[in-house]
Amino acid sequence: MTVRREVFLPGDAERVWEVLTSAERLAEWFACEVELEARPGGEGIFRWGDGSVRHAIVEAVEPVQRFAFLWFEAGEEAAATRVELELEETEEGTRVAVTESAPDGLRASAAGEWSWGLTLLAALPRLHAPARVT
Amino acid sequence: MTHGPGEQVFHALADSTRRTLIGYLSQHETATATELAVDLPVTRQAVAKHLNSLEEAGLVDRRRVGRETRYRLTPRPLTEAMAWMASVGGQWDERLERLRLVLEREGS
Repeated sequence: MTVRREVFLPGDAERVWEVLTSAERLAEWFACEVELEARPGGEGIFRWGDGSVRHAIVEAVEPVQRFAFLWFEAGEEAAATRVELELEETEEGTRVAVTESAPDGLRASAAGEWSWGLTLLAALPRLHAPARVT
Repeated sequence: MTHGPGEQVFHALADSTRRTLIGYLSQHETATATELAVDLPVTRQAVAKHLNSLEEAGLVDRRRVGRETRYRLTPRPLTEAMAWMASVGGQWDERLERLRLVLEREGS
């Protein structure tokens, strides 16, 4: 299962890349304290003010285009999700797509995800109604 | 923080035929394998196989009613999957909004 978001940001890809991959810049918007080695196999620790902590293991670093890492809570590497950031520079700025995928790396097509989302939405009213078996 | 639902649920939902079965069961409170095979473009044999996967993932359960075995959706794993999508998506919405503000404040 996959969650995907896209955002359009001001600035060229180089500038956006820095905010996405440098520990110092990540601490401005992503978490309170960030340690991160942005190289394949590099490790990261993200801490928030409420005491929560997340770990990252970097999988792919393709400067100003693609950054991917595993994302998990301490001791729960087996339940890691995979986060992928893709950058695309345009004339007006940079488009960033974020994809977070569930543990077993199943990545249905965009159409599949969409229809699945619709299925789940359609199922919701039924799920909240008490089931009767006759 | 968020935990993803079990891998079995993801695996079960990754298949379009199984999603079709779930869609059908969400519209009908219960169904037999035969009813599913008649109403959907899926063979009786495939219906049985996919119902087993869904049952193993805890997405459906079965009850014997007279001579029939009737299947119905069980809400919890699906609700968890929905919650996972909503929670993870919501986190990214917030993060990306903060990121946009940081970059806009800096100007270009």
